Amino acid sequence: MAFTTLTFFLFTAVVIAVYYLFPVKKYQWLILLAADYVFYLYAGYKFAVFILFTTVTIYLAAIRIESLKLRSKEKIKAEGKSWSREEKKAYKAGVKKKEKTILALALIANFGILVFLKYSNFLAGGINQILGHTADGGPLPMLKLFLPLGISFYTFQAAGYLIDVSRGAVKAERNLLKFALFISFFPQIVQGPISSFGQLAAQLTAEHKPEFIRFKLGLELILWGYFKKLVIADRAVIAINTVTADYTQYTGTTILAAGLLYALQLYADFSAGIDISRGIAQILGIDMVQNFRRPYFATSINDYWRRWHITLGAWMKNYIFNPIAISKLFLGWSKKMKQSGFGKTAAGAHIARVLPTSISSVIVFLVVGLWHGANSKYIAFGLWNGGIIMFSILLKPVFDKMCTALRIRTESFGWRVFRIIRTFILVLVGYYFDIAPGFYGAMDMMRRTLVDQRLSLGKTEIAGLGLGKADFLILAIGMLIMFVISIMEEKNQIDTPGELLERRSFAVRFAVIAITVLMIAFWGIYGPGYDPADFVYMQF
Amino acid sequence: MEELMAILEEIRPDVDFETEKFLVKDGILDSFDIISLVGALNEEYDIEIQPVDLVPENFNSAEAILALVTRLQDE
Repeated sequence: MAFTTLTFFLFTAVVIAVYYLFPVKKYQWLILLAADYVFYLYAGYKFAVFILFTTVTIYLAAIRIESLKLRSKEKIKAEGKSWSREEKKAYKAGVKKKEKTILALALIANFGILVFLKYSNFLAGGINQILGHTADGGPLPMLKLFLPLGISFYTFQAAGYLIDVSRGAVKAERNLLKFALFISFFPQIVQGPISSFGQLAAQLTAEHKPEFIRFKLGLELILWGYFKKLVIADRAVIAINTVTADYTQYTGTTILAAGLLYALQLYADFSAGIDISRGIAQILGIDMVQNFRRPYFATSINDYWRRWHITLGAWMKNYIFNPIAISKLFLGWSKKMKQSGFGKTAAGAHIARVLPTSISSVIVFLVVGLWHGANSKYIAFGLWNGGIIMFSILLKPVFDKMCTALRIRTESFGWRVFRIIRTFILVLVGYYFDIAPGFYGAMDMMRRTLVDQRLSLGKTEIAGLGLGKADFLILAIGMLIMFVISIMEEKNQIDTPGELLERRSFAVRFAVIAITVLMIAFWGIYGPGYDPADFVYMQF
Repeated sequence: MEELMAILEEIRPDVDFETEKFLVKDGILDSFDIISLVGALNEEYDIEIQPVDLVPENFNSAEAILALVTRLQDE
């Protein structure tokens, strides 16, 4: 049930109506849970086994870990006074070990399923190639696997919860049905945002009354999402698909145009999906975290990842980057280097200081790359991003000195624009890995972009990519609208166009909404005979 | 406190740690600074800062950092 179908629209309308009309407010949340499973089973009943497995195993593991914690606390309270400091320490370590074993088993089981379904063919192909065969013609067979809907998203969300419980940051949920709701909330299950238990869970099960302002802002957000998806993303994708089907047929000019269109499409598409999710949640009385904050205004790759797919970045930071960077191993390396002869020099001291963060960044982005898919091009995508971040941390003193020597006013508007453009180019290189058929394809596409710029031929080619002049005009208008809204949001530090509209008069609000509806109606790509493009992030 | 100030100043000499009260919230300290700080604090005070301790509230001001250190020393 894709977000762009009439079925989904009707389904959501019915859910909202039943949710608010349900007489026993205390059990209102059960309507959401029922809706989640209707939504999920509609995608395929086979899938339900996987999400149920994750729900039950993580639910039980969390309770077990928490009971161990509670029991050990009580024991220390009761008998601790008669223990020596060492005895207490040893007892605590013993409990911690048990907790960690349960945590590890639950995480391995759940990520094991994800890795198996998503990466086993990639790994088997790689091993076949190492053994001197073709990827699909070696001793290891290629399996016909399917990915359950939203498996990456709910697995990450569930794993985050379990780690939080083991850290003592949140209390374990004792009600299985309430926990099942946290894992399966239908607006977010397909493509996120990946939410933390502490932020989302209590809201899901609280009692909610219909509020006019939430309906208004929620509907405006949904409308904005449909505009970005149907008018911009699903139009741009037509030209992109034509080029990527066989990029060797095209000049570097056209390949570059496809890359730029992809930057537009990916942002419009993914942020549209998130806006629709957040809008529906808002109507249901639930605030979900923001996933995008004008990513193309980022002034560095590091900044880009704080603005793009924010919830994935936050997850990675919280559960992978931080534990690795402050591990005894990494901090130990840093300390050793500091004490060495090299560490006594200015450059050495800096490198020793930033060593844990820079290596952890590369590891995290390797994981982010793999998260995007089982293909060497995604590993390259991850290393490209992680490598730039590492490079920028290590060389920061050099860059700072260069700025001083060149008398660059780093606070100036011009310098900021320069940094934004530079960052966008680096991001665009990363996108080439996304749209290319493979790693070598991406390299070849970059080479062609650099050496094969032929404007007039490119212009003719672009005209033949399946989009007419009117389509390009609509894309340009759409992009301009997104750009202007982004600037206004950035200026006012506001994250949705609806909140911007709130400050305007009724006439302006009415006109803007009416025009948006008309643009979607006339320019949106939908209707009979048209197969709506899946959201880009749906198959993760 | 003086000891802590010396550590903080070594990591970010450009920041006035006596007056800033929202070091993380205002983006004065980024995650890279905090990791460096964790290394220095662990070593100086013989504590083990855990991932769960890496929340803005623990690093927003010199006082908050000192409170974190004191709590971990007592454990």
